[in-house]
Amino acid sequence: MFVEYTWLIPLVPMLCFVIVGFFGKKMPEGGGHVAIFGALFAFAVSVLVAYEFFTSAAYSAPGYVTAQIAWFSIGDFGINVGYYIDSLSCLMMLFASFISTLIFVYSIGYMHGEGVKKRRYYAEVSLFLTGMLGLAVSSNFLEMFVFWEVMGLCSYLLIGFWSFTHPSGDDAADNAASAAKKAFLVTRLGDVCLMGGLFILLYAFGSLDYLTVFDTAAMAAVDPNMVLLASLLIFGGVIGKSAQFPLLDWLPDAMAGPTTVSALIHAATMVKAGVYLVARCFPLFTQNPELMLFVGIIGGITAFFAATMALNNMNIKKVLAYSTLSQLGYMFLALGAGGYMMALGIQSGDTHLIAAGAVGYTAGCLHMANHAFFKALLFLGSGSVIHSAGTEDMREMGGLHKKMKITSVTMLIGSLSIAGFPLFSGFWSKELVLETAMHAGSYGVEGYLFTAMWVLAVVTAFMTAFYMFRMWFMTFKGKPGHGTEHCHGESPKSMTVPLIILSVFAAAVGCMILFGFDEYITTGINAAGQFQVGSGHGHGMTGWLEDIFMSAYTYLTVALVLIAIGIAYLMYSRKSVDPGKINRNGNSLIYRALSNRWWFPQLYNQIGWKLGYGVAKGVEFVDRQVIDGTVNALSSAVVGSGESLSKTQTGNVRDYAAVVMAGIVALFILTVVLFYLMGGA
Amino acid sequence: MFFEFPFEIPYLLTLLLVVPLTGAVVTLAMGGKRQKYAKYSAGVFSGITMLLSLVLLFTPDLSVYNESYPWIDTAGLRMSYILTVDGLSILMVFLTGLLVFLSTVFSAREKDRPNCFFALMLAMEVGLMGVYTSADYFLFYIMWEVTLIPMYFMISWFGGPRRHYAAIKFFIYTHVASLVMLIGIFALVFGAAGGGIADFSFEAVLAGSVAFGSTFQMLVFGLLFFGFAVKMPIVPFHTWLPDAHVEAPTAGSVLLAGVMLKMGSYGIIRVCLEVLPEGAQYWQPIMIFIGVLAMIYGAYACIAQKDLKKMVAFSSISHMGMVMISMACLSSTGIEFAIFQMFAHGLISAVLFMVCGMAGHSIGTREIPLLGGIAGKMPVFAAFMMFGFMASLGLPGLVGFWAEFGIIFSFYDYSVSADMIWLIAFCLISLLLTAGYYLWAMQRTLFGRLTDRIDLSHIHDVSRPEAIALGAICALIALYGLWPDLALGFVDGYASSLAASLGVI
Repeated sequence: MFVEYTWLIPLVPMLCFVIVGFFGKKMPEGGGHVAIFGALFAFAVSVLVAYEFFTSAAYSAPGYVTAQIAWFSIGDFGINVGYYIDSLSCLMMLFASFISTLIFVYSIGYMHGEGVKKRRYYAEVSLFLTGMLGLAVSSNFLEMFVFWEVMGLCSYLLIGFWSFTHPSGDDAADNAASAAKKAFLVTRLGDVCLMGGLFILLYAFGSLDYLTVFDTAAMAAVDPNMVLLASLLIFGGVIGKSAQFPLLDWLPDAMAGPTTVSALIHAATMVKAGVYLVARCFPLFTQNPELMLFVGIIGGITAFFAATMALNNMNIKKVLAYSTLSQLGYMFLALGAGGYMMALGIQSGDTHLIAAGAVGYTAGCLHMANHAFFKALLFLGSGSVIHSAGTEDMREMGGLHKKMKITSVTMLIGSLSIAGFPLFSGFWSKELVLETAMHAGSYGVEGYLFTAMWVLAVVTAFMTAFYMFRMWFMTFKGKPGHGTEHCHGESPKSMTVPLIILSVFAAAVGCMILFGFDEYITTGINAAGQFQVGSGHGHGMTGWLEDIFMSAYTYLTVALVLIAIGIAYLMYSRKSVDPGKINRNGNSLIYRALSNRWWFPQLYNQIGWKLGYGVAKGVEFVDRQVIDGTVNALSSAVVGSGESLSKTQTGNVRDYAAVVMAGIVALFILTVVLFYLMGGA
Repeated sequence: MFFEFPFEIPYLLTLLLVVPLTGAVVTLAMGGKRQKYAKYSAGVFSGITMLLSLVLLFTPDLSVYNESYPWIDTAGLRMSYILTVDGLSILMVFLTGLLVFLSTVFSAREKDRPNCFFALMLAMEVGLMGVYTSADYFLFYIMWEVTLIPMYFMISWFGGPRRHYAAIKFFIYTHVASLVMLIGIFALVFGAAGGGIADFSFEAVLAGSVAFGSTFQMLVFGLLFFGFAVKMPIVPFHTWLPDAHVEAPTAGSVLLAGVMLKMGSYGIIRVCLEVLPEGAQYWQPIMIFIGVLAMIYGAYACIAQKDLKKMVAFSSISHMGMVMISMACLSSTGIEFAIFQMFAHGLISAVLFMVCGMAGHSIGTREIPLLGGIAGKMPVFAAFMMFGFMASLGLPGLVGFWAEFGIIFSFYDYSVSADMIWLIAFCLISLLLTAGYYLWAMQRTLFGRLTDRIDLSHIHDVSRPEAIALGAICALIALYGLWPDLALGFVDGYASSLAASLGVI
């Protein structure tokens, strides 16, 4: 009834993009209301579709509903376009459209002073929403890839929103232009890998439809090495898009865009596309435990590295950016650990292991949804702070709590949630992630690596709590800074209302796990041997409470989180501990490594510069000097030294025509001779 | 097709030659005081030609438009005036009609001898239409040469500071190549005749080609391939192209990149692959090598360029390298997408060269290091430039992506069967490099701080005729991007029958 209209979900924002793009100039707020309408409409349709999907008995047995029409064909292989709805797509489209709606509303206040640029802003965010929602409902890899790249384009455009005529000067404009380029190119590196994976899949399966590729029988018929290679390449795309190690460097730079863009694209939605893709490709990825191990390790390393870089950063948005990276790492760790167990279970036929793996899947997806809410909240909160304090540097803030109560409290809720303070959203999913990693450590030959990742993840949890509260205390407590004096009070209603709504969700969404979330967002193998999303059995409220509160490790993490918050309080609110003593006033090696981002940017610049511009210079030299040099030398040798150019400049083409005619005759004779020699006649 | 043109226009293909020819003569006569009418005359005639080519797109059975008349019919020699259009040529004919008309619109404000300028464009259209429709080697060769002359004058009369050098280089290079090609054509015709009447028609040569021996196929393929490939162009015989582009006026560049380069790849498919399948098998690895080289070399050369137009010229080399590898797969998919890429690149490069032309005359320079922050001053220009660059780097949803995707897929198919799967990496690297040079160029021209190295007082945004021409092409790029079957539908049948005759499906 509603599911048939799924195509409206990406289409309406697309229409809004066209309308705002062409006519936004004459509309109030540059067409912002149209964009809000589009997002709201998409949300409403998503709710109806999800409601029908979850309630109708017709869909619960297969666990999905799909419909597609032929688009065109590449050789013998047909490419379709259509929708594919299962509980994972429902989760994705629900939180993406809901958060987008709130962020668009917030933008009305935040972007109010941007003048004519508002039209471009609302057009681009509408196009972005098309990409995000289209990705969620796509029925095949190629369609997904189109939307994937549309998001990449919008990310590029929006990071570079102020890449010319920047309100705070030319340097900022240069910086934004460079950040936008970097974001696009680094993700492009991943996308190119992803494309390679698609070629392999299309060739091996003869189709890119999810249904065909994820069919266990079809998968068994394909060379496992090709499946592994394809999965690796797809994961390469994921690394680029979700900014995982080693391609994590673009995301902090991407903070050059407006804060709403950072909240929407670089925290809540687009960077989740990678998580979504790994979850979507679970049937493919779990063919190989080593691959899943790789996913988990990448996730664990990213979680740790990114968290370290957030420890001493002074820019409020950058801290949040690193924490986004770190949290994304958690999601991949969960998916990797779950997938690892599931892959082992599939190989050995152990249903217990498969079920244990499904918990990792649930943990990854739950953390994805939770993170979308609390990170959107935190970014919007930081936007509210930046909006009124006029700076992004936390040293110039401080004491803002008195002036901005709503922002302060909502951000505190977000910080508690992301830090994993007991009973807040983040607590549930983070504990689940850690539990899965721990659990995976006891299986398989390489399982101990997951134990190592668990250690990293626990240390990360400690660091997360520390840097989040460092941020909160530095911003809202302590002595008023330079920016605080400029602050003209709380932000307008259009900004605070979304904050309040988000803070409710940020605090409570994670509790879904207690009410059967895991029954819907899970994966497993049904009786027919097919992968199915949402086929597992709910663990239920008491089950989770038992699991989590009976485990000693939970108390360890909670204790670490509380200690970290305490340290942050002592250092940045009471100031009884001087952080300068620990890092030798910013001169210790570790401190410098962190503030230089472990020298990653320099490394990438060097590589990019040498492999790109360096080689290009060589090619240019060969082209101009060697190839063209030979040509020019030949022509002067033929026509007479130095006169070739002056002669041609008289435009005396007739001489050439004569030469050419003579040439034709000579060649004709030559041909005939050749022809007879070769015995054609 | 959802719409069929209800009438059959008599002599449609001849009209495609006669209308622009008449137009060229009429427009040339608009000298002196009548100069201001030159653009209208050119617009009307090229517009009619475009509409005629559009009729072809909506004709279900193209064979009704075949025309054939004997021309020179002696005891030993038969040359005829044969015009046909099929799945290979129809998109090229449409592209020619479209781009000539739109570049006429684009250059509506041309002040320097407009009658000569527009007459040359129409004359070029005669040659281009002739190349794509003729089905007789003699006529084909004549038309091939006809395209050269207006282009030569276009560059040497209306070009930049080094126009004479560039024009003569262009002329000699392509002329030498076409002479080599001519030898190949003679070899084909006399070989097919086998001592009988040397019939120059495509049909007769194709029928006689069964008798060709392997050595003959190999040698003649080499000659013809060289002749056509220099036009495409291929590394290392490409240096005429950047020079010609840098000096040519915008409309000339649009036609040069948009349709004239395709003559080369069209010739390879039409002549080399159709007639010399064994030669194609023999030369396949070399074609692949040349194509891959052009892709990577062209892309790297782009990164180092300082002139925006020269960068776009090198990007043409890179993209035509894709056409080369795609044809060289000798598979149905490969040929189909080679043709599709020719079409896609025709549309996209038109946008790119128009944008570069605008940079030249409204900002006053195309030197990338002198520019910066232009987007703030010329938002519409920036939007078009970004659109063109994004289309060219293969953004999904625009026409270039499907062409690239199909090409790389067919190349993957080839590399798997040749057991060299790593070859695919070159294609992927070239995609990455393409994104690199375009984005870097945009960063340095459109974004960042507003340049203070040039005088910006006379800067003006896109004028109305320019916006119309660019807007129309951009709309088509998006349309074919959303619905690639609109173009692929024409090519499909041709590609699979050619692949079948090549023995590889």
